[in-house]
Amino acid sequence: MTRSFTWAVTVEDALAAIGSGARPVAGGTDLVVGARQGKASLPEAIVAVDRIASLGGIVEVDGGLHLGTLATHEEIVANEVIRERFSALADASAIVGSHATRAHGTIGGNVMNASPAMDAGGPLLCFDASATLRSEAGERTVPLGELWTGPGSTTADPHELLVGIEVPAPKMMTGSAYVRLEYRRQMEIAIVGATAVVTLDAGSVTHARVAITALAPTIRRIPEAEAALAGSDGGDEAIATAARAAGTGSSPITDVRGSAGYRTAMAEVIARRAIVAALARARGEQVSIPASAATRGATA
Amino acid sequence: MGAGTTAAATTFIRGDGKEKVTGVGRYTADLTMTGMAYAKFRYTDHPHARILRIDTTKARAVPGVVAVLTQEDLPDVRFGGLVLDRTLFAKDVVRFEGEIVAGVAALTEEIAAEAAALIEVDYEPLPAITDFVAAMEPDAPLIHPDWASYERDEGMVASGNTISYSTIVKGDADAAMAQADVVVKGRYESDASQGVPIEPRAVLAEWRGDEVTIWSSTQVPYAARAGVAQTLQIPEANVRVVVPLLGGGFGAKCDLHFEAQVAALARAARRPVKLVFSREEEFRAIAQRREGIVMEFETGATRDGHLLARKARLVLDKGAYCGEGGFLGQMAAMHACGPYQIDNVFVESYLNYTNHQPSGSVRAPTAPQVCWGLEQHMDEVARELGIDPVELRRRTVIEKGAEGPTRQIFDEVGIKQTLERAVEMIGYDRELPQDEAIGVAVGWWPCMPAPSGAYIHLNGDGSGTIVTGSQENGSGAVMAMPTYVAEELGMDPHDFTLLYQDTAAANWDMGSCGSQTTFNSGRAILAAAVDVRDQLLDAAAAELEVDRGDLELAEGRVRVKGSPDRSVSIASLAEGDTIHGKGSGEVPEVPTGDTGGCVGRLGNETFLAPQLITQAAHVKVDRETGVVRVLKVAAAHDCGVILNRIGADGQVTGGVVMGVGLAISEGTQLDEEGRQRNPHLLDYKLITCSDAPEIEVDWIQIPTAGAGPRGSKGVGEPPQVPTAGAIANAIAKVLGTQVRHLPMTPERVWSASRGVEG
Amino acid sequence: MNVPATLNVNGTPYSVELDPHMSLLDAVRTVVGLTGSKEGCDDSECGACMMLLDGKPVNSCSYLALQADERDVTTVEGLADGDELVPLQRAFLEQGGVQCGFCTPGMLISATALLRANPDPSDDDVRIALSGNLCRCTGYDGIVRAVRGVAASGTDV
Repeated sequence: MTRSFTWAVTVEDALAAIGSGARPVAGGTDLVVGARQGKASLPEAIVAVDRIASLGGIVEVDGGLHLGTLATHEEIVANEVIRERFSALADASAIVGSHATRAHGTIGGNVMNASPAMDAGGPLLCFDASATLRSEAGERTVPLGELWTGPGSTTADPHELLVGIEVPAPKMMTGSAYVRLEYRRQMEIAIVGATAVVTLDAGSVTHARVAITALAPTIRRIPEAEAALAGSDGGDEAIATAARAAGTGSSPITDVRGSAGYRTAMAEVIARRAIVAALARARGEQVSIPASAATRGATA
Repeated sequence: MGAGTTAAATTFIRGDGKEKVTGVGRYTADLTMTGMAYAKFRYTDHPHARILRIDTTKARAVPGVVAVLTQEDLPDVRFGGLVLDRTLFAKDVVRFEGEIVAGVAALTEEIAAEAAALIEVDYEPLPAITDFVAAMEPDAPLIHPDWASYERDEGMVASGNTISYSTIVKGDADAAMAQADVVVKGRYESDASQGVPIEPRAVLAEWRGDEVTIWSSTQVPYAARAGVAQTLQIPEANVRVVVPLLGGGFGAKCDLHFEAQVAALARAARRPVKLVFSREEEFRAIAQRREGIVMEFETGATRDGHLLARKARLVLDKGAYCGEGGFLGQMAAMHACGPYQIDNVFVESYLNYTNHQPSGSVRAPTAPQVCWGLEQHMDEVARELGIDPVELRRRTVIEKGAEGPTRQIFDEVGIKQTLERAVEMIGYDRELPQDEAIGVAVGWWPCMPAPSGAYIHLNGDGSGTIVTGSQENGSGAVMAMPTYVAEELGMDPHDFTLLYQDTAAANWDMGSCGSQTTFNSGRAILAAAVDVRDQLLDAAAAELEVDRGDLELAEGRVRVKGSPDRSVSIASLAEGDTIHGKGSGEVPEVPTGDTGGCVGRLGNETFLAPQLITQAAHVKVDRETGVVRVLKVAAAHDCGVILNRIGADGQVTGGVVMGVGLAISEGTQLDEEGRQRNPHLLDYKLITCSDAPEIEVDWIQIPTAGAGPRGSKGVGEPPQVPTAGAIANAIAKVLGTQVRHLPMTPERVWSASRGVEG
Repeated sequence: MNVPATLNVNGTPYSVELDPHMSLLDAVRTVVGLTGSKEGCDDSECGACMMLLDGKPVNSCSYLALQADERDVTTVEGLADGDELVPLQRAFLEQGGVQCGFCTPGMLISATALLRANPDPSDDDVRIALSGNLCRCTGYDGIVRAVRGVAASGTDV
């Protein structure tokens, strides 16, 4: 086998290379680290897609978002529209790795890495985002909930390239937050994470999304939590019920980062903090980004 | 501040600074040589197994492989500190996951790795002994069945898997305990942890005839030289160990560490060979980690807080081999006494073999863990007595004239001053929110006397070269030496350069361990400076035709006191290249005590010129998650006279942050076979810049009997001793209960707060 | 098969042929021959390998060298102005921000990136930005002091 490396300038270049077996690399922050840790060796044929201008950028589309696959976490955090209206995503991107990781790590690479601990995954899932996958055969759109099937695995075909992520417009009075349990203030990997997106109308919750991170083989929405919030007044009881559902809906493993019992208990705590922060934002209150720092040590 | 005044440098630009900030300085891994081959080790597949067969045929056949070695190719000798229990490559039995079965050298790293993987090894797996307490049960299988035949120090009292049993005994602890108003018992357990220098180790060896030069990232080049000579059966004179810039050590780079294997590969390959460790190897394969300890304390006190008796039983996880860590048990026993006045003492300590990575000296070996347990225990005693923890310490810490645990009589000791100062700096009595608290801990560490030697050559132009065997690990202890020499000779520090960390250049030196570089190497260098000074005075007296006693050295000249115009420049006196000083100085003696009742005496029964520390930690606990943030640490230390304030402060800030890591995040997790589960920095969590607390440092500078040069004591290890204990006491105050397992991870804190043992 | 590329390191173009799997760190250390950038881990945790890539910090041990083709790479060797240290380098030495020095190259690069993006950082801004660079010696105190001092002096970085 011979190793090869090409630089794609257009999406067509990239698709041709991928069609003949090359693996795309953007920022490389997941792929190369994974190889160095011995998780999977680097692919023999590599096509760099990070110079394809059309794959970059963050664009507001009809109140929603188009995230180019090459949008970096640094760009996401800096984007005013995302900070204001998709705050949970900014919460997540703000706490990925170090400033070096955020400068080069791309949302597309992150999504396709399909880690159940991906910080930005919960927010995207709760904003009902979908992935646009393109191959030489054509293009299709897959809701993220149907893309991830397990740690590192997706329903994407090996010949498909993620070209962008589409996020529909949220309703008025929507607030969102992503909160991560953090042993250290920085450089953490999610051990427990939770996302909440809530919409308020005349004092009651009209729409709710709750997802948990690093608590199951994939990032997972918790319908029971959403049901507890939707139609409620967003008060303490609804919040507590929803948070408990996040705990119940977790199926964490025991590993070097924490026991299943601790993680399950933390799922409830962290979900509650995320819901509280999301509701506060929906009411127009300031919760600074990242919400993990803002809600640290918060009590019920 | 204490009574002493300080002439400490408040500006100090380290001599190796420029090469470090510009990136041109070379660390061992940065070196390459023409024809150099790369080494890779083949590690064992099982933590404990008998080797049935090793077949290297396939590895040798890989194109580009230039050497393959197993123990069969090397002299049949064992090495180790107080017990010689290990071979360079495994012989017959492997005893921990990082054991090296074979070594390969090849033209590229990739080829070496491929060939190492092709070595065929058949094993008969043996049960892994991973419970270091159960390891001492009578029916436990022996990790070293042939122990009796090993060479060893006679002070080692051993039986079964216990490599060393030590006691510290004073009076009759049982009888005194029976008389106590209050008796408090407590059990604490610490996990193993790691030194984690940011530079993974590297070794490069090149032979010239029968002599080998080894560049190594070691803290102890002379110990490495001795180990190479002993294991390869060649004279020490034929081995030269040179240390390029050293990227930190913290004890993890003490002892013989792979220099001999790489030298043997280079000899077999007839090429220079370089080994560079990955971070994972740096975790798994080195023989230096901080040991796990199970501690049981029992203290009897009178109602007013007088300590009548202390009993303690410590069990330490030695791991598979002795290395240089044979003394750990006895050192731990001294820390179970701590810097307290206790009338009667019985502490016993078991250092047990297991199938884990060997334990060895990591920054103040055994002290931070034992201090963490003891200082929580002392807070429990205080609670039982209804006395404030600081007040209890005020009443019980050692003072001048007090008796130590083996009845050594202390001279001036500044522990009480450190206590008052730390409490003042942290604002001990102030009101805090419910989820915050302040904890206090005290600790100690001995000065380590050892020989050292130095030369100072004055060059013909009046510049000088300081030749020392001392080793710079980053602390600046060696970098500060030109300042001391210049002061002695009335010259400018910039007149001097250093030749250091090269075993061919100077006499034996202990290396950068034991916080003793200034204490011993500094003493030798000052003695050499005095020798130079004498020679300059003699020469000047002859030239100026005056009595020596009328001369002084200042501003680069030797001049007549009171008549500064009658002088001669040092440069002109040195013109003939005849001024060479040498010195060792007199090695201070360890104080005597009543040690007759102690078993397993290895030299730490008394503490020479102890360094004394109080730290106070202000923490915030997120009770719902167990996450602890350390907001501030106030550190007050009696380390004698401080010679280099910037360097000394840097030891405290660095040591405290390591201590915070030990307290809340750093712990090696092991599986049931003794394999590390977190041998990488993502899950072995060091404290980051954003987690480091505010640190306030002050020094109690008082004269101390037995101190080192200019009244100094050691500085580098004490800062880590009480940090975890202070943090633990603060956490316990918030929770209302102790966290009895170190590190105090969020999950353990959370469990403790719910009344569950973590 | 090795692939030809051009690495612009500290303003100098190097025509190189690189294995597709080679990291930027290995290429700069072994092919270009600048060993100032260090390798301290294998999972982008320590930051000793940090370089600037088109002005932004990158963990070069986890970045494929060929991706840097024709881009501007800055390493610690590119910071000084000839033989003159720049203020950040001087401040690290004056404030006790350097002990063993192994983290220093990455730390200086990281701090340079921070100060170029945010010339007036708070203490916490500095601490958060430098969290991807582990130091085991200093406890970070001298480093943070050095970075804040240079920021306060208003000199260009």
